[in-house]
Amino acid sequence: MKDQLTKEEVLHVANLARIEISDKEIDKYQIELKQLLDDVEKINDVEGYDEDILIACWGENTNLRDDEIGNMLNPKEVIESAPRHSGNYIEVPVVLSDGEGA
Amino acid sequence: MEVDNILFGLPIAVKDNIITKGLRTTCASHMLDEFIPIYNATVVEKIRKKNMIIIGKTNMDEFAMGSSSRTSYFGAPKNPWNKKKISGGSSGGSATTIAARDLLFALGSDTGGSIRQPASYTGIVGMKPTYGRVSRFGLVAFASSLDQIGPMTKNVYENALLLNAIVGKDEKDLTSANQMEEDFTRLIGQDIKNMKIAVPNFFMSDIVDEEIRNKVEEIIKMLENSGAVVDYIDVKYLENTVTLYQIIAMGEASSNLARFDGIRYGYSKENPKNIEQLYYKTRAEGFGEEVKRRIMVGSYLLSGENAKTYYNKALSIRDDMRKEFLNVFKDYDLIIGPTTTTTAYNLDDSMDDPSKSFMDDVLVIPANMAGLPGLNLPIGFDYSHMPIGLHIIGNSFEEAKIYHLASFIEKELGLDLNPNLGGEEVE
Repeated sequence: MKDQLTKEEVLHVANLARIEISDKEIDKYQIELKQLLDDVEKINDVEGYDEDILIACWGENTNLRDDEIGNMLNPKEVIESAPRHSGNYIEVPVVLSDGEGA
Repeated sequence: MEVDNILFGLPIAVKDNIITKGLRTTCASHMLDEFIPIYNATVVEKIRKKNMIIIGKTNMDEFAMGSSSRTSYFGAPKNPWNKKKISGGSSGGSATTIAARDLLFALGSDTGGSIRQPASYTGIVGMKPTYGRVSRFGLVAFASSLDQIGPMTKNVYENALLLNAIVGKDEKDLTSANQMEEDFTRLIGQDIKNMKIAVPNFFMSDIVDEEIRNKVEEIIKMLENSGAVVDYIDVKYLENTVTLYQIIAMGEASSNLARFDGIRYGYSKENPKNIEQLYYKTRAEGFGEEVKRRIMVGSYLLSGENAKTYYNKALSIRDDMRKEFLNVFKDYDLIIGPTTTTTAYNLDDSMDDPSKSFMDDVLVIPANMAGLPGLNLPIGFDYSHMPIGLHIIGNSFEEAKIYHLASFIEKELGLDLNPNLGGEEVE
């Protein structure tokens, strides 16, 4: 088994996570990510379990609350928490454009 | 006003991943280093109702990811027993402030041992309650199916008192359990005659330092002499729990931390050319190394068919493991073992091994996997006078039984747990 990921594999994983990484970081992650991926591969050694899935430990009951409007956050405070905002709007950079890969 | 509120006016420290309205909440990350929440976590509302005073927020591993608090953006807390040693993590700040006797009460959070392991390294009492016992509303999510808030204190009684104050059904948390409130101190002080206790062989295997095993064996003898029945048993899957944890915790973290996009709150890269660049650069600069590594691996584990190969499989095995534990509790009241495989190690030990922070928690992760309550109790010291901890695991919603046994051992031992009197002063 190879002991590190290829550069392309690291870039693929970073892309899934929406994290930019530098060339220098790629070298490091080729080794570190490979080690963690080898760790999780050990799950294939586990045998003899049922295929039931446990989503969480609180049991079968779902605790949905009544569909009633309760205390809501103040919209003004929510908007003002955003790093860039204007009036009643949260500002975002260009989403669709004809260049720059957006 | 509550007449019998003995917590009135007492100060409490709150781990900095539990949000506090108007009070900066950083998760020890550059991503949130200037974040001021606009509402309170449910536990914060509860301690405010008791008129407790939030005296500060405590340092931690970034987004609770780590086992030594060294991934904090602000630097690592030092262990009061020896300032060259780690405090453990991720609730390292809460652990050290209690161990140093700054105050009586602190809140931590525990996803894979993050209350119990630092409690062990610093010689304090730390409880991870049953999953669903304490509302997670307002706890910044790391791995939602494992996260749980719990009390950290210098002794068992005060721990139970603080748990009394923070439990309860919360309609803002889908996973909060519909349990009646109860007095967790009610069994404290009773004898332990005929109590049935199990010790999983894996917990006493050679992955644990001999000194620690010897100390736990001393406790076992003491319990037998006091009328308890102690058996060594095998519990399936214990040797697999770190793998399960890595898959579930990194997978859920990658999903939970997708919300940090530079748009709604927290750090945001200046002058991005487009929205993609805002995401990529904000996350590259806002997150630290450990967090990025876990998000990347987690994203991979949940992508496409991998979700079936890894995540779903881990959930299936976790379900079986939980049933294993429930079977044990048909015959036994409690499970015990050491909390950690070593005592606190040096702050300047290498951080190059990405698996190390997971392996530090090998003995405490099983309780998170099965959703069970677990507590660390200090039971003595190693040759360099660093604290050793006993881990007590109970059945779901049987925290009172854990406090029962813990208080008995605490009283029998009568340890001096003040680091100023015992600890080797370094620096």
